[in-house]
Amino acid sequence: MSDQNFRRDLNRVFDDVSGEPSPDLRDRVKSSIAQAPEARGPYWIAAVAACVIALIIVGVLFVANPLNRRPAPVGPGPQTTATPGATPSPSTTPTPSSAPSPSATPQSTLPAFVCAAGDLNTNGSQPVAFVSDMRTGSHQGYDRVVLTFSNGLPAGGIHLAPQAGTAFTASPSGQTLVLKGSNGILVVIHGSDLHTSYNGSIDIVTGYSTMVEVRRVEDYEGVVQLGIGINGAACYRAFLLDAPTRLVIDIQSAG
Amino acid sequence: MDLRPEALSRATRGDSGSFAELIEPLLVPAYRLAAVMLADRDAAEDAVQEASIKAWRKLRELRGDVQSLRPWFLSIVANEARMTRRTRWWAVVKLADMPPKGSEDVAANTDLHQALLRLSADERLPLVLHFYLDLPLDEVARTLGVSPSAAKSRIYRAAKRLRADLTPEEVF
Repeated sequence: MSDQNFRRDLNRVFDDVSGEPSPDLRDRVKSSIAQAPEARGPYWIAAVAACVIALIIVGVLFVANPLNRRPAPVGPGPQTTATPGATPSPSTTPTPSSAPSPSATPQSTLPAFVCAAGDLNTNGSQPVAFVSDMRTGSHQGYDRVVLTFSNGLPAGGIHLAPQAGTAFTASPSGQTLVLKGSNGILVVIHGSDLHTSYNGSIDIVTGYSTMVEVRRVEDYEGVVQLGIGINGAACYRAFLLDAPTRLVIDIQSAG
Repeated sequence: MDLRPEALSRATRGDSGSFAELIEPLLVPAYRLAAVMLADRDAAEDAVQEASIKAWRKLRELRGDVQSLRPWFLSIVANEARMTRRTRWWAVVKLADMPPKGSEDVAANTDLHQALLRLSADERLPLVLHFYLDLPLDEVARTLGVSPSAAKSRIYRAAKRLRADLTPEEVF
């Protein structure tokens, strides 16, 4: 598809999606503007009043404690509940990073491996979720990379795209990065950054047999892209864990 | 765009008719932008109507001359479209793909159509501004509220999600 064809086809798709506005849109807008009062009032007074009222309500609820709950204990104490897979445990396999590698997760709870592009809906709330840790581990049947977010899940969603070869285009430089391995997966995290809370390596050469390299491709304008270099087929599964908030990507291996 | 500074002055002084006259040429681009972001024509018209009211109320915040009006107004429309998508009912109701018109060309574009609808609204936005509305890069940047280089990066990134082998030279 040439450049001109791409533009033409894309604009046709835009035409299909949008169509033409209804003939009365102009009149609707005109009459709604005519009826709408021009903003003049000091809205900040209303905002301050709303904040004061909200504070009063919160204060009353706090003092009255209608649910009669005991305040949560502060500081170290016995855990009353445990979330499966919530706490990383030391790996059985050495990893290139100094921190413990991500623990294996019970297979029955995990999604199936796929070899096609897919999206992971995060239902996140953070316009920019800060990656605070990036670790790798090797397990029976898969190699794993785990990203920990320090402030919640990214709002923009996560896209994973397997590709033939390990050439990735760095953004915004446009430079081509060639990773180790024969195939790759591009991971695009919308609404995230890899520099505010993270100071580890941005190019992890794992030494594993399958997932051989994880490298930052982009960390710009709230978008993080990672390239994963793989020996063999680029098949993966991806899922999210909480406490702490993590993105887990497993690369299927023969071992 | 027709430069009518007098109309802008009158509008700033509270003349709603002058404001309506100023934004009239922008309504179709604004509608197209909202329709692509929302993939819903009725919701797009509502968003444009609501954005027009907000723009009228915030007109005094407009910096610059009448040439700044288009990116300023389109950014308000884009924000309105984002807010529409954040409403609870929008999150609950499955977004219906708009059926393409029944032409052969459209059938050939089904993949591109589906790929476009798989993008988030914020990813579609720079594509609409650059390809569909054919805005110059600095206006795209002002509408997105980012630098021109960041706007360029967003356009390229979103276009690459539609066609992986695009080069920057093919996009710009």
